Amino acid sequence: MANLLWLQGGACSGNTMSFLNAEEPSACDLVTDFGINVLWHPSLGVELGENLKRLLDAIVSGEVALDIFVFEGTVVNAPAGTGEWNRFCGRPMKDWVADLAKVATFTVAVGDCATWGGIPATAPNPSESEGLQFLKREHGGFLGKEYTSKAGLPVINIPGCPAHPDWITQIVVAVATGRGGDLTLDEFQRPKTFFTSFTQTGCTRNMHFAYKVSATEFGQRKGCLFYDLGCRGPMTHSPCNRILWNRVSSKTRAGMPCLGCTEPEFPFFDLEPGTLFKTQTVMGAPKDMPTGVDKAGYIKLTAAAKAASPAWAEEDLFVV
Amino acid sequence: MGSDREDVLKTIAEMLAAGLETEVEPFPETDKEFGDILIKLRQLGPDDLEGKLVIGGFVDHPYGPEQQRCMECMYFLVHRKWCDLPELAVPVEPEWWCRLWRI
Repeated sequence: MANLLWLQGGACSGNTMSFLNAEEPSACDLVTDFGINVLWHPSLGVELGENLKRLLDAIVSGEVALDIFVFEGTVVNAPAGTGEWNRFCGRPMKDWVADLAKVATFTVAVGDCATWGGIPATAPNPSESEGLQFLKREHGGFLGKEYTSKAGLPVINIPGCPAHPDWITQIVVAVATGRGGDLTLDEFQRPKTFFTSFTQTGCTRNMHFAYKVSATEFGQRKGCLFYDLGCRGPMTHSPCNRILWNRVSSKTRAGMPCLGCTEPEFPFFDLEPGTLFKTQTVMGAPKDMPTGVDKAGYIKLTAAAKAASPAWAEEDLFVV
Repeated sequence: MGSDREDVLKTIAEMLAAGLETEVEPFPETDKEFGDILIKLRQLGPDDLEGKLVIGGFVDHPYGPEQQRCMECMYFLVHRKWCDLPELAVPVEPEWWCRLWRI
């Protein structure tokens, strides 16, 4: 039996909605098959008011063990570092987070807001939001660089806006079944098993990427979304085209450019207004190249790919 | 290529060969400038071929120090010899160039 507590800070509940739609394993499977005891969750918990406060106090005091502390949303520090804008159970949520993180065996940040601040932490950041252990790319966040949970791991970051439900439940199961020590994390403390490959990995438009055929309007089933419509799939680490959404699709498969929501910069505040779905270019070449590709190599590759492209690459392959 | 498209391609080639002056410069260095040109193109009538060529900055040869060509542009469909940028949507030759060139 592993005790899990899930709290929300500055959040839209999107990750909760995602979590409740998990399928492999489902949220119910966590309880029935993997022995996870959900102490409390904003949408599932039955305790309210003083009863909930007593539970949280019991966890902080060590009377109730906290095996997995899941946090969704930003840590809100406004106004002036007090955290009073986000009160919960009689005190600022940030104070609960500080106390609970100290007693948690594993601490898991779910979604962009909890990992690196997400949309609320975008300048001018009026809620003085930050993630548990990052503020955008800056290591530290609310708990500080040196924080480790009782298991010796830093915060396990599962980013996304929202995070895919199965990323959440699979990590929770790994931790609850004693395999937390097997998790390897990347430089942003994301589990490598999910965040080493790119969104582009498994994208059905990869042949159009290879032959440099662009989708130039939404709804086109041919063409790659990277060249013109702002897709960040080639430089975003996520398994969105390996572990499909609702088991059937992904943004790029549905013709929607990847927004790069698993990266710390999201929502890319350096973009000019109106350019979200337009690939940023400098002198006709993409401002952000696919990871690992330089401009000279990109130009050479384009010339060769265009010259070699077959006729079918220009056709809509998906005509019924 | 369909005969209509071939006719249009021939017409464009003749216009450019005859010295049609197009707005080759300034090259849109940023997306804002690129977008401004697209706005101008959208204001043209659907059959205003000359307007497209002028605002697009078409030339019938490679252009610039890197000798950029339609051939490498991402909007160019090689087999159809077609510019797939919706605001242009014209047949083009691979050795041509316009200032909406993107790679």
